[in-house]
Amino acid sequence: MISKKRFLVGGVALALIAGTLVSTPAKAASSELVIGSVLDIDKLDPHTSTNFATVRALGLVYSSLVEVGPGNKLKTGLASSWSFNAAGTQLRLVLREGVKFHDGSTFDAADAKASLERILDTKTGAAGRANLLTITSIVASGRTLTLNLSVPNVPILAALDGVNMAMLSSDDITAGKVGGSNKPNGTGPYKYVSWEPTQSVKFVSNTGYWMGAPKITNLTIRVIPNESSILSAMNAGTIQFGIVTDPLIAKQISTKSLKLFKVPALAYYALQLNTKVAPFNDKNVRLAIQCSIDRPEMIKTAMLGEGAVSGPITSPAYKSDPNARPCPKVDIAKAKEYLAAAGKSSGVTFKALVTSNGWATSVAMAQNLKAQLARAGITMDLDIVDQATYVPRWLGADFVATLANNGGRIDPDTMYTRYFTSTGNLNKVATYSSATLDANFLKGKSSGKTAIRTSAYTAISKELEDNAVWVWLATPYEYRVATKELKGFVALATGSLLPLRSASLG
Amino acid sequence: MRLAKTSGIAARLLSVFITLFGISVFIFIVLRVIPGDTITGSLGIETGVLTPEQIDDLKRYYGIDKPLLLQYFSWITSFLSGDLGFAYSTGVSVLTLTASSLPVTIELALFGTISGVIMGIAIGMFSAKKPGSARDFFGQLFGLLALAIPGFVLSTAIVTIMANKFGYFPNGYEYMTPWEDLWMNLQQMLFPSIVLGIAVAAPVMRTTRSALLETVDKDFIRTAFGKGLKNRTVQFRHVLRNSLIPIVTMTGIQFGYLLGGAVIVEKIFALPGMGRQILDAINKREYATVQSSVMIFAILFVTINLVTDIIYRRIDPRIK
Repeated sequence: MISKKRFLVGGVALALIAGTLVSTPAKAASSELVIGSVLDIDKLDPHTSTNFATVRALGLVYSSLVEVGPGNKLKTGLASSWSFNAAGTQLRLVLREGVKFHDGSTFDAADAKASLERILDTKTGAAGRANLLTITSIVASGRTLTLNLSVPNVPILAALDGVNMAMLSSDDITAGKVGGSNKPNGTGPYKYVSWEPTQSVKFVSNTGYWMGAPKITNLTIRVIPNESSILSAMNAGTIQFGIVTDPLIAKQISTKSLKLFKVPALAYYALQLNTKVAPFNDKNVRLAIQCSIDRPEMIKTAMLGEGAVSGPITSPAYKSDPNARPCPKVDIAKAKEYLAAAGKSSGVTFKALVTSNGWATSVAMAQNLKAQLARAGITMDLDIVDQATYVPRWLGADFVATLANNGGRIDPDTMYTRYFTSTGNLNKVATYSSATLDANFLKGKSSGKTAIRTSAYTAISKELEDNAVWVWLATPYEYRVATKELKGFVALATGSLLPLRSASLG
Repeated sequence: MRLAKTSGIAARLLSVFITLFGISVFIFIVLRVIPGDTITGSLGIETGVLTPEQIDDLKRYYGIDKPLLLQYFSWITSFLSGDLGFAYSTGVSVLTLTASSLPVTIELALFGTISGVIMGIAIGMFSAKKPGSARDFFGQLFGLLALAIPGFVLSTAIVTIMANKFGYFPNGYEYMTPWEDLWMNLQQMLFPSIVLGIAVAAPVMRTTRSALLETVDKDFIRTAFGKGLKNRTVQFRHVLRNSLIPIVTMTGIQFGYLLGGAVIVEKIFALPGMGRQILDAINKREYATVQSSVMIFAILFVTINLVTDIIYRRIDPRIK
């Protein structure tokens, strides 16, 4: 017999649980899009931001002179046209008319000049400064901006894309009102509303945007620090858009209820070999590694089939041919020949630095490579550390070999000059340079002609692969998940959220 | 007598201060020993594009250019005066950050402990009633499973099932404090509390069971039955009350652990608590945030232990 008291208590408890389960809060209004992101933003200064989440979020607020569009093609941004002089030493940009900052002031060449000068100022600590170092002077006149360059530098145009090259108001720069707790004031499709650290960033559409007001009026980037939970939130309908990097999560997405956008990334995975230390100061040992690796197997197992075999250059217009390398397919016999040539017939042993949390498949890939190399008598011991430990060791070239996930660019010059030219600021990490590489980078930089540039970058790619400077492995995919109601969105290899300006819900 | 009591409290307080001082030195040194600093933690591989002058400027900005001893005293004196430092990655002070994250973790740990204690004591009593019986077997099986299943597995399973099968995932919405929206807050806390509660319930259940079995054989229990008291009265008023000391000890320890152990649960259920704050700060090598947050945890832990001691005295007047 159940007493009245017990019945009452039990009833209240059941009602509470049932009420909790059935009572779901109102879903977002149709013009509101909530984006789930594992990472939070870390600052509001576009020029100094390097965090992916910050770059993505501020890319909605700020615009640059040029943009990368679908197919990784360079297109007009705040500059409506441009031209180089015959020598490639002067770039003249004509700026778009009628563009306004979010505070209502008009954007002109003086703002563009002040923005580029801020990037060049060492005190700013701008992430993109290295790409603008050939600028000797900037002339602003009305809607025309002229960049005078110390050497011919055609790829500088592509370097003007992105959040790190954002155009700011010259008044804000002069008043020191950029970054910190200052409200971002850009010319982009969305106006910044608020940022609650570790929780969310909110935006509202810019009705005065030069391309027309975005149809999605309210945008929120919500921090959900677990990709599996992002997918759950999408399935439950509490968010409408998700940023996913883990192939395992991407594989679980049901395309019956959600849309999956998948594009090959410009980033690439490589086993970086330190050519300054033994055993990789011997080219034959490096080539033995190159020949021992079965890239398709690694992609199939460790990356769950979510990637493509890659050579050094991933920039679409100058992409390296992975079949042009020594041992395009795994060749254990050849690997052993190279080891014998190096006087290491009994095999070699080395330690590879691996990040445990740099990207989702890092440890799985390292373990797969370790197993593959063992077939050729090569022992790769894994030195697995967290990302914050990995970075300083990588920067100091404190490794014999390291599995790396490096960013790509749409132009090979901005992608590799910093690594493989003798004066590049990451040459210490690359551990390799040569006079021919320097000459070819200069040739590629100086010409606007596609044929000349292609020949230069093909030669660069060949030298890097023939010497097995690093062992380039694969490119991953960029994933975006969205509700079926999202229309007009196109995913970009750069990971930018800018295409949301043309998207709509329902 | 009073003198002995006072000196006992003074000794206890002294040990508390020594413990906290030790923790402050330990966390400060550990953070400096592990590779990386705030610059590489925030800029990643892009640190490579900085000039040596820019790196020096940044070191000055983050205050990591000074000698270690100076850095320690600068931080600890600021901490003691209520200035917990600045969280560069969020652009706000650590105090502001903690003011919003600490209540989340305390609420979560409190709900987790309450649900865990209720489950643990109930199942422990259920189990101890007939040792060696089927009900004891199932009670102990629960204890074993609750200890063996990792929190992240249980959390992920709950989130996946609730979202995919029932379309229910309140944690996908913006986090609401009880003052902003109590109903939403309770929904967002429900499943994380259950996950943590299960982890607490297992040791509480095992402690309850063994404490009850030990007490039930005591002479005074036989006397109580001999006086003709009802079974329930004996169980609750005499057996349970006299078994409470180890249960309270275990609960106090578990509450302390929950404060720090909620990291994974906070991550999976997207709760902006202290666990996530510390984890993010460690990844970014934000020294002030990690040091001050750990110190707050340590102070809480020590306080809870003190409170547990006081509760002992209330429960058992024999303890002096």
